[in-house]
Amino acid sequence: MNKLYQKKHELWLNITFSSFAINDEEIKSRLYDFSMIAFRHMKWLGSEVLNENGNYNYDRDKIFYKKETVFEVLETLKDEILEIQTSYRDNTLGDRIETDDNYLLEYISQILNETSNNQTVTAFNMKRKWLDKNLAQDQIDALTIFLFEESYKEYELILVYAYMQARTTNTLEFNIFQDLVDESHFHLKSFGNMMAKIGILAMPRELHELTYIVDDLEKFIVDGIAEEEAAKIMCKELSDAIKDEELSKFFDFINYQENYHIELMQKLLK
Amino acid sequence: MFENVKMPDGMNPEILEHLMNPKNYGKLENHNCVGVAVDEKTGEYVIFYTLLDGEIIKDVSYATNGCQDTVVIGSMFTDMIKNNNLEYANGAVQKMHEKLGDLSPQQQICADIVFSAFIASMKNFENLSNGKEEEMHLFKMKDSCESTGKENE
Repeated sequence: MNKLYQKKHELWLNITFSSFAINDEEIKSRLYDFSMIAFRHMKWLGSEVLNENGNYNYDRDKIFYKKETVFEVLETLKDEILEIQTSYRDNTLGDRIETDDNYLLEYISQILNETSNNQTVTAFNMKRKWLDKNLAQDQIDALTIFLFEESYKEYELILVYAYMQARTTNTLEFNIFQDLVDESHFHLKSFGNMMAKIGILAMPRELHELTYIVDDLEKFIVDGIAEEEAAKIMCKELSDAIKDEELSKFFDFINYQENYHIELMQKLLK
Repeated sequence: MFENVKMPDGMNPEILEHLMNPKNYGKLENHNCVGVAVDEKTGEYVIFYTLLDGEIIKDVSYATNGCQDTVVIGSMFTDMIKNNNLEYANGAVQKMHEKLGDLSPQQQICADIVFSAFIASMKNFENLSNGKEEEMHLFKMKDSCESTGKENE
């Protein structure tokens, strides 16, 4: 059962990063919607495992790396969906997930049938140029480091909070974990699309169990608050360093969001 | 290998490649020793899996919750020592220390936590060879990113 969970985790990531990789806004948006559905599949499959006194982890086999065209991205995704389909259980949840996947396959087929959709993918070209902005090299370097740090961190937070949410019986904790997961999804989406825009899109590295199996929740939250404080400073520094009004405002906006994350985390300590 | 390393300023394609696709990252199922180095102040850790065959490091991998400097140094270091012997690996630690000398104090700490995790895995191998039961060997770092003012992540 854990193998199915692992495959769904990989599929969620692959749909998410396919969305980031593709420039066409409509395809990007539709794939992102499907990725959020896949994340819910992952959550439900995880609950099923736990309800049967099993367990799952966040091990992964595959990485999504350097595709050249939209069709190459979508063909890879299609193969992965077809591969997982034989693994679903014959029950209501399995049927629901299979139906969702079939609809995604249908959508992918529609895109693949129109050759004009087969645009070049620029998300992995490593050029580190933001075409409509005039950013100096040191600003691009600072942005690069920030995006790698924070895209990993958001992925980590999504998985760590989801892991704890699945195991709590406390309603307040459950709700706070859900808010934090939702917030991190938005941040991951924002940073992932920015990475693609400057040609440095990469799958976040795998989480080791030392990261997500938390024995001391209080210490974890206290450390997490310190990390949020650090992220706020990093956002502020980046906002000050980047001489572009639109980007500066974006990093200020993220910075203020971190304030509320700290508030939410402090509620967990009460 | 580290002639052109300048982080984070003047980021070169080699560094970017390690950021986008860290080498030897994740668990190594077929290992015979494990070491962990941890910064207790920040909770940052590096875990190092090694497969030793006599004096030869047949395979190696690492994982971390640390910053990107730690990821890049781990990627480069594991690439460097894989399929080499222990004497080379010990020399590589020293050589990398020299090469990384121009890094900031924070980045030096990132390098040290990677090397310490590798040395911990060697200690684990030694202990296991001497009949001691030990799942992994743990080193607690003396210096912390936090104390150098690093705002990681």
